Parts: sequence; structure tokens; C-alpha cells
Amino acid sequence: MNLENRKRELAREFSPMLEKTTKTSKIWIGFLIAVILVGVYAFFVQLFKGHIVTGMRDNVVWGIYIINFIFFVCLSYSGAFISGVLHFFKTPWKNSVSRIVEIITVLSLIVGPIFILLCIGRLDRLHYLFIYPRIQSPITWDIIAIMTDLIGCFIYLYLTFIPDFAILRDHSENASKWRQKVYKYLAIGYQDTPTQREKLHKITRTMSAMVIALAIVAYSVLAWIFSLTLQPGWNSSIFAPYFIIAGLYSGISVIIIAMYLIRKYYHLEHYIRKVHFIGAGIVLLVISLLFGYFTFSEYFSRWFSHKLSDANLLNTLFTRYFWMFIFANYIGVLVPIAILFFKKLRTIKSITFAAVIAVIGLWFNRYLIVVPTLESPYLPIQDTREEFVHYTATWIEWSLSFAGVAAFILFFILIMKLVPVIPMSGIIDNEREQKKVKKSFKKIVTE
Amino acid sequence: MKSLNYKYTIITSLIIAFLFSFNLFAQEEDASNYRMRFNLKTIKQHDNSRLLEASFIGQNKKDRKDRIPVFDAEIAFYNGTDLLGIAKTSNEGIAQLIVPENQIYTTDEDGYINFIAKFEGSDGLDEEEDDIQVKDLFLELNLEEIDSVKTVLVTAFTIDSLGVKTPLEEADLIISINGMISKMILEEGTIEDGEFEFEFPTDIPGDANGDIMVYSIIEDNDDFGNLIQQKSINWGTFKTESVKDGNTLWSEAAPIWMYIVLTILLVGVWANYVYTAINLFKIKKEGQEIALAAEKELEQ
Repeated sequence: MNLENRKRELAREFSPMLEKTTKTSKIWIGFLIAVILVGVYAFFVQLFKGHIVTGMRDNVVWGIYIINFIFFVCLSYSGAFISGVLHFFKTPWKNSVSRIVEIITVLSLIVGPIFILLCIGRLDRLHYLFIYPRIQSPITWDIIAIMTDLIGCFIYLYLTFIPDFAILRDHSENASKWRQKVYKYLAIGYQDTPTQREKLHKITRTMSAMVIALAIVAYSVLAWIFSLTLQPGWNSSIFAPYFIIAGLYSGISVIIIAMYLIRKYYHLEHYIRKVHFIGAGIVLLVISLLFGYFTFSEYFSRWFSHKLSDANLLNTLFTRYFWMFIFANYIGVLVPIAILFFKKLRTIKSITFAAVIAVIGLWFNRYLIVVPTLESPYLPIQDTREEFVHYTATWIEWSLSFAGVAAFILFFILIMKLVPVIPMSGIIDNEREQKKVKKSFKKIVTE
Repeated sequence: MKSLNYKYTIITSLIIAFLFSFNLFAQEEDASNYRMRFNLKTIKQHDNSRLLEASFIGQNKKDRKDRIPVFDAEIAFYNGTDLLGIAKTSNEGIAQLIVPENQIYTTDEDGYINFIAKFEGSDGLDEEEDDIQVKDLFLELNLEEIDSVKTVLVTAFTIDSLGVKTPLEEADLIISINGMISKMILEEGTIEDGEFEFEFPTDIPGDANGDIMVYSIIEDNDDFGNLIQQKSINWGTFKTESVKDGNTLWSEAAPIWMYIVLTILLVGVWANYVYTAINLFKIKKEGQEIALAAEKELEQ
């Protein structure tokens, strides 16, 4: 088939996904906007009344905002890492998942840092971070790392979008004018000539290697915010690799969940197949084993050394946070392992279920890293009122958290309205590669 | 199935037997199981006072490592038949009595002082006694710089009833200094004809002021028991306090390596971004040229 005809066919196949909005999706978008609006209201309440409306006090200065921040940023880094690996090593099944991963990467890197802003009591002094940066401070490293990574991820995402923008520019005659203009502008005159293709492949490949390195550095910096602080439960030498593994654990789980929802909602069974779920499931199994190993090493060394502060922290984890600890570190690790270990249990639904358990478990794991540590400081707590000693999130914090999740999903849907979730250029590249292989095979046979 | 049950029964019985065996062999702590060790020693201290020390410890007859100190036991110290004083054993089983320098001791015809420590016995413990005979020896420690050489001079002598000094013929001697945890031995030698000379090392730092406490010690001598003499001197070579390195992380500027690493990382990453942008402009330029060519073709 002619290449142009194939491109037109693909554009026609995916255009309903881009242009048509069903009643269900309208209701869904409306619901997400409503959740975001509640979050906006909560934000203004917090802005005008101050942090007194949250559960954070002198002692527990970080609550679920920072947990969401770590969760989303780790998600982003793991997305960048996975996406970089998929591109760099030309993984065979990358085409079906690469765009989902790239969108998750960029969106979580936009949503995540918003939560850190919510932690800041004096937002009017935010610019001080840039005017008076201290290179010695891990917070400064994190700001630099996040900003550099965000720009890198944007560039990388854009590079992978260009060929699809070009296809949509050339073959979406029926699309609205503004959409055509947007495609034309974003395609930057890409005509898929051999030189353009070669240039684009070269820079995409370099950027994919770059985002892997960036993700590792940024991950480590995020972990160092905790591990370089002298607090019980934080001051650990394995925190950086532990965070990398934990991030990959959540990243792969969210990708599996997204794959399941997109496949079901957009009827992409032809592109996102069981083999992709099994592949992702096996990766999740390996990561869950590693995550379990790191978690055990972390807590075991603290328990065995039995320093007073660590003993107090472990006592808190096994009393006040007992069920959360069990869910985070036993159910959240062992259930995915049990499901993914047995071949018979590896169905699309069970793999997705394992991913959901892993995500919830990991969120609890983050909670247990942040809150119980702040509740058991080295120095005794001066004000012993219950709300000063223990932390409980308020409705303001929950509504802003849900608003963040809603914003993430809404942006995801909106991006999927702009470009197909399965890269058309990837399908064409695949077919082109297959033709090349067939030709060379024919040549060998005839010779 | 039968054999399996049989196997489990045997294993369970063995485990139960093993657990109960601990109780069967458990020993009761009874004084009859212990052999009492009662020892007396004497140390002539630097101020010429004399420390009499009795240790009272029970040692398990079967397990020699099992040692229990006898505490709060009343020990009487004698010089011959003269009572010198009474002391009680501590939690470590040690009773100490310091006899002042001016104490006049009775001696035998050879000049030996006979010390006796006595425990009168109690309901559970038998009477215990130990004695020791020592001659009164005088140890002098002098620290002098001879021709700019820091020298430790030790003299040892006895004094008879007429006040005549007789140098000590021969005895083992230890020269040590005060360390942070215990005494550090510098030299182990022999006093001959009542004299010992030792060149003090030049690389001993001393305390913050450069002061060093020097000891000369005679240990467990058959004739004289234990003697110790001490003197402090400003012979330390390291007199200034060490200058602590400041925490550079909290200083005005970060450590230089931090700037270097950060610059390399950022330059590397941003150079790649610039390279990507340049290539994107090249792609754009080529696209524009193709579009222009296509337009021209259409016009023609």
C-alpha cells in the first residue's frame, strides 16, 4: 500500500477518538472539572486563612501534600525512565505504551510540583528560592532538577509527537480550522523526508538517553531531601536507590491502569493486547520483588540496630499505623507478587488489580515515610496538644489532593483529544521495518 | 501414612524432650557450688600512703567463668596483731583501706611488714584470711632535661632503722603515661643498683596544655609488692588545640566541588537541549524549502 494512503487510513481510524466527544466522556469531564473547582475553593480558603486549615502543625510540617508531590514526581521520573528505555533499546512492544508513558511523565511533572507549592506557608516569598538560592541545600538541587527535567520531558514528548502532528496536518481535511492550524504549527514543516526522519530519530534517541540519566539524578535528589536530614527513619544511605525502585513500582502500575482504562474506553484491543499486559506485569513482578527487598532491608537494619529513636518510630508504625503499615509493606508488595508470579493468574484484569494494589500500597508507603517520622522527632515535642503531636489531613488537603488527581486525568483526556494515544508514526515505522526485513529475507532466499 | 504419623510423633517427642532438658540441667545458685577466692594485695602510692586491697569473689566450681563478687562483707586489715582498720567490700567484691604515710608498722627481724586481711564469716560463708609480707621501699621519680634531653630518672631504696638508705639491687620497672582510657606503657626495664634512666620520647602530645602525667611502677614484686610514683610535667609536643574545620555546607558559599559537579551536569544537559533545538530548526528549514518548492511547482 502507498505510504500516503496508509497515513490517511490511520488518520481516519484515529480521528473519531480525537474529534468526537461522547455523552459519557462529557459527564466524566464535567465531574473532573467539578472536583478541580472544589480544589480551587479549598486553595483559596487555605490562601486566606493560612495553614491552620490543614492538619499540618509545628511538628508535622509535611502532610499529604508532600506525599502527593513525591508520588507524582516519582511517577514522572519513572515514566521518563521507562519511556527512555523503551525508545533507546527499541523495545518491540513500545509503540502501544510509549505515548501513554510519555503523557504520564509530563503531566505528573506538572501536577506534582503544585503540591509542593501548597506546602509553602508564605507563597509571597516563593521567589526568594530563586533570588537567594543556596547551592548547599537539597531543596535547591530539587528545584533545579525538577525544572531541568520538566523542560527535558517537554522537549522529548514534543519530539515524539512531531511525526503524528505532520500526519494529522496532511490528512485531517475534515477537522476544524483551529485544529488544522495547531497541527500545522506544531508539525514545524516535517515532511518525513529521509534527512528529516534521520535527524528526528537521532535527537529523539539522544534525548531518550538523556531523560534516563536525568530521571536517575532527579530521583536521587528527591530522596536526598529526606536522607540528608537527620530524622529517625529518613537518614538512610539506601534511600536514593529505594526511591528509584519505588518510583518504578508506582510508574509501571499507573501505566498498567492507564492501559486498561484506555483500552476499554477507546476500544483499542487491537493495539493494546494481552501480551503488553503480560510484559508489563512481568516487569512489575521484578520491580515488586526489588521493592520488597529494599523495604525489608530498610526496616530490618533499623529494627536490628535498635537505636532509641528508631525503636520509637517502629513502635509507632506497629501500633498507631499498624494497618497502614501492613497494607503498604505486606499486602501492597506480596499480593502483586502472588498474582504476577503464577502464569495462570496473569490475566488482563488480575494484572490491573495487582497494579491498583501496588499504587495504593505505595501511596501508603510514602505516607509512612513522611508522617510517623515527623511525629517522632529527636527532640521532645514542646506543645503536647493532640493536634500538635499527631497529624490528620483535613478536608482542604483531601479536596486539593483529589483535585490534583482530577487535573491529571483531565489533562490526559485533553492531550488524547489532540494526538492519538497510539503513535501513528510508530505504526508506519513498524511496517516500514517489517517490509525491510521481508525484502532482505526475499533477497537471501533468491540468492 | 502410618510411617508419616510415626515420624511426626518421634520429632515432636524429641522437641518436647529437648525443651524440658533445659529445666532438668538448670542449676541453683547456692554458695556451696562456689569456691571462695580471698586475696590481699598492697600498693604503695605516690604520696607514700599505702593502699590495702582485699578482693572477695566466689568462683563456680564447675564453670570457672561464673564469678560472683561477695559484697558488703566486713574485712578487717591488720599489721601483725595491730588492727589498721575495717572496710566493706563493694559491689565488685573489693574492700580498700588507705593507711597514711605516717603509720608506723611493726616488722619482723628481716624488715618485712606482715599485712593480714580477715573476714570473720557469716551464716552462709566461712571465715576467710589472707596475708602478705612486704618490705618498705621508697620510689622516687625525677623528670629532668639533661643536655636538652628529656630524661626520666627513677631511684629506689630502702631505709633501715638507723635511717641509712640502701639502693634496691634489682627489680622490674614500668614507665607509663596517662592515656585517655588507661595508662600507656612507654618502657619496661630493670632498676639496677637503685637507679633507672630513660630518655623520654619527643612525640607525645599531652593534654590541651601539653601536660603529661608520668608514672613509674613496680608491679607484684615478691619483696615489695606494688609501688607507684607519679609526676606531671609540661613535656607535650602538641600544645595548641586542634582547629576544627567549619561546616562548609552552612557557610556563605558551597564547597567548590559542588559548583563544579552542578555546572558539569547542567552544561551537559542544556547543551543537549540546545543541540536538539538546532536540529529542530534544521528540520523546520528543510520543511519550509520543500513547501516553497511545491508552491513554485504549482505556480509553473
